[in-house]
Amino acid sequence: MKTKPFLLAATAIGLVGAAAQAQELTVWDWKSGDPVTADYYDSAKAAFEAANPGATVKFVVQPHDQYYTLLGTALSSGKGPDVILLHGGAQAQTRADALLPLTAMADGFSGAEGFTANGEVIALPLTIQGFAVYYNRALYEAAGLDPNKAPSNFAELSTACEAIAAKGEVPCFALGNSQGFGGEFFISQIATSTFDDADYTAWAAGELAWTDPKVRAIADQWAAAAEAGWFYEGANSIAKFMDEYEMFMRGDAAHTVGLLSDVAHWKQFEEFHGEGGVGVFAYPNSDAELARLPFAGGIGWAASNQSAHPELALSLVEILADAERQAIFAVDTGALPANLAVDTSGLSSPALAEALALMAAAPGGMPHSILAPSVLEEWKRQSQLLLNGETDVDAAIEAMEVARNAN
Amino acid sequence: MSKPAKRDRRILWAASVPMMLLALSCVYPIYFAINNALKDRKGYILDRFGLVTDPSIENFVTAWSRARFDEYFFNSVTVTAGAVLALLLVSSLAGFALAVLRFPARKLIFGVILASLMIPVQVVLVPFYQTIVALELLNTRIGLILSYTAFFLPFSTYLMTAFYAALPRELVDAARVDGAKFLQVWWYVMLPMGKPALLTLGILNTLYCWNDVLISLLVLQDERTLMVGIAALRGEYTTNVPLLSAAIVLGAAPIVLLYVIFQRKIVAGIATGAVKG
Amino acid sequence: MTVKTHKTKPPRKRRGGFGSKQEQRFAYLMLLPALALVLIFRVIPLIWGFFLSLTNVDTLGNGDWVGFANYARAANDPTFQDSLINTVILLATLPIWVMLPMLLAILIHQGVPGGKFYRAVYFFPAVLSSVIIGAIFSVVLRYDGSLNNMLGAVGIDAIDWLGSSSNALGSLIAVQLWSTFGMGVLIFMSGLATVPDDIIEAARIDGAGFWQRLFLVIVPSLRPIIEFVAVVTTIGVLTSMFGLIYVLTGGGPGTSTTLPEFLIWLEQGKLNRPGYAAAISMILFVMMGGIAWMQVRIMSRNTNL
Repeated sequence: MKTKPFLLAATAIGLVGAAAQAQELTVWDWKSGDPVTADYYDSAKAAFEAANPGATVKFVVQPHDQYYTLLGTALSSGKGPDVILLHGGAQAQTRADALLPLTAMADGFSGAEGFTANGEVIALPLTIQGFAVYYNRALYEAAGLDPNKAPSNFAELSTACEAIAAKGEVPCFALGNSQGFGGEFFISQIATSTFDDADYTAWAAGELAWTDPKVRAIADQWAAAAEAGWFYEGANSIAKFMDEYEMFMRGDAAHTVGLLSDVAHWKQFEEFHGEGGVGVFAYPNSDAELARLPFAGGIGWAASNQSAHPELALSLVEILADAERQAIFAVDTGALPANLAVDTSGLSSPALAEALALMAAAPGGMPHSILAPSVLEEWKRQSQLLLNGETDVDAAIEAMEVARNAN
Repeated sequence: MSKPAKRDRRILWAASVPMMLLALSCVYPIYFAINNALKDRKGYILDRFGLVTDPSIENFVTAWSRARFDEYFFNSVTVTAGAVLALLLVSSLAGFALAVLRFPARKLIFGVILASLMIPVQVVLVPFYQTIVALELLNTRIGLILSYTAFFLPFSTYLMTAFYAALPRELVDAARVDGAKFLQVWWYVMLPMGKPALLTLGILNTLYCWNDVLISLLVLQDERTLMVGIAALRGEYTTNVPLLSAAIVLGAAPIVLLYVIFQRKIVAGIATGAVKG
Repeated sequence: MTVKTHKTKPPRKRRGGFGSKQEQRFAYLMLLPALALVLIFRVIPLIWGFFLSLTNVDTLGNGDWVGFANYARAANDPTFQDSLINTVILLATLPIWVMLPMLLAILIHQGVPGGKFYRAVYFFPAVLSSVIIGAIFSVVLRYDGSLNNMLGAVGIDAIDWLGSSSNALGSLIAVQLWSTFGMGVLIFMSGLATVPDDIIEAARIDGAGFWQRLFLVIVPSLRPIIEFVAVVTTIGVLTSMFGLIYVLTGGGPGTSTTLPEFLIWLEQGKLNRPGYAAAISMILFVMMGGIAWMQVRIMSRNTNL
């Protein structure tokens, strides 16, 4: 009995050794389990294996809730995957030391800034991520508003919400904040319209105080919107993904703050409200003239510098992010491709056209994605308490400063 | 019968009402999961609570193929069976030694095993993973079987020790007088005698191993067990509730079946164990 | 599960001394697999974790020795302090966790109508993983969920079960209780099988009412089981609520449902601070150590060791 585990362990070592002989790359992501992405992954696998005879690739889908925990434990033991899917911003940048530089391959991508650390591009973006306000034209009409005139500034949005409140059937905004995502998105919705380059730099370095008027505005306007009754009342009890969006899809709310990437976007909303049934605008900051649309690189492919086959890993990253593959991903999921060579004519809808026009006319960054994770966590908590009226803006700002200084 | 008996019955009938409600709430998940598994995504979003109108088994098909249930199912069965077998053997051996044999440091060893019950997975996540890596057990089923055995062993050992301690001492003494070696005493006397406790442990450990996500996720990173496959169906943003429900029905069915089949035996086993004690 | 009631058996550590050399050798041999597994996979990682908690390593393994700085950080971390308060609240509900299954088991044992059916289905939630339980209760408990719909039908105003700081922890505890009480019923049922029927019958003939018999005869005879369930439940609630927290509340609103195990997960993964996560882990372990001490005492007594 006592020798059994050791014998078995010895056998296991043998098996591991054998597996390493065949050139198999392991890829970690949280997307490949979704049936809608099947064609994208199949195509990438076929192209990679054709280009690299003898090499194979294995896509391993990890549960998203444990993704970074697993990745951390694996990388720290030198047992990480060869190719890794990462979020742009802080999540990618804090892992830069474990990744191969991809700068030489990074021409022709938008949103690469979010995947840049120490002057090197460390992942090739697959999608563009952004936050747009989607509105239900039928509900606008029912409230006596012009369904074809999207609010372009804070005053117009206030008018719209008042009209919808006066009708009294649905809340102005569907909101899900049980995991704090509603609050998280709000950072970028507000700050994108007022932040300048210096602000972004200071913000990423943790040097921009929450008492700064541009930052404090996030908490002020969040609390004010809640106070004015714009948000769905049970927001803290439902998840943004997908309860909030399902509420919007059912027509139980006039607005939602949705994404530009592969879910919770125009494609899914038009499925329920029909083409032309959904309009798009950028969330207005009451302190700014122009409402900017926040967007940046969403998710991207990186190669681990622990890989036993770095050239193969680079080749796979290149294929996963090339125009042909991104076109499949974009058409199947409705995500905006980050590769500029992708022909987006396969993606056409009135709502998408409005979003693309906004991205060209009033582009903004995504401040929430470069905030230190622990400070972002604290803001999620404070955003919930503000919604419940369990704290006030001054106390929330104070708590944010404690978190910022502790980091 | 007499008056108090009548009053007893009234109390019991009154208690039966809330107990019935509680029982209904325990059955509700079956209805919830099956009902929603038969809806399509759009149908679920538009009507989350209602009875399915246009049932389709599409989600079961998708869950089975896309989530590679054939493969994951095999992994789960192998690992669970291996771990439960190992747990029963190891805990029965240890229980026999701790309860029946007399040797120095018995209390200390028992204490160490019990104290390790208090080390939750989260507390040792990173070091545990590094231990697995150092032993070259990463991505091996053996590694997961050993991990499960180690994690669920303290409770099992305690139970077997308690069970054996309660058996009549004369049995062991008699066996030993007959000249049987200790290993034979264990095999021919203790194992058969321990059946009721072993059966209970078998069911509980099957449940723990089958439902585990975290340990499996750490040890089998490239392969999958069924529950990890199901957990991975919940994406970053999307939770496709109908698909998830179908997967959960498929994943829970074997365990529910096992429980229904063995339920009578578990209870009977517990009862005989009690009488023997 | 049955056996801890046999505390009345004469202890067999009598007549002192150890067995023969052969007996001792066999004992260690038989314990070897169990000890090796526990040491390698649980005790050594624990010690390793302690050293990790004295560093500020990141996920890539770079880092320095920082002494007890992570523990100092914990002492000043308002989130961690809140998680400790939540733990105390959670532990304060322990009597319910023990009493409810006990009462149900006694009622079934006393022949409540439909008892066999209840015994079968009560165990059902314990079979399900927290993934499905979380998915169901997020639909039931949300502000526009089925529970509030039902309350609305009888004229009660909607309650924000998960979204307000005053209700969220209670709701979470109730769901966890619902999903585990079946196990407790099973354990108490097995314990009740060892209570001799004639004692209960004698009490009845003596004129003891239903409740008197319950509290004066049955409950005292279940004492070892009560202790056992209490200890096992304590470990359970401190270490296995992550799944539900993640799905139902994400630790919020604010910090109202953040328990130490959830915070460990957060620091470890999202916040990328394994050293600090290890420090919180160690504090959690030491907290549980107090309970462990109690547990070892109770369990040892019940096995006559």
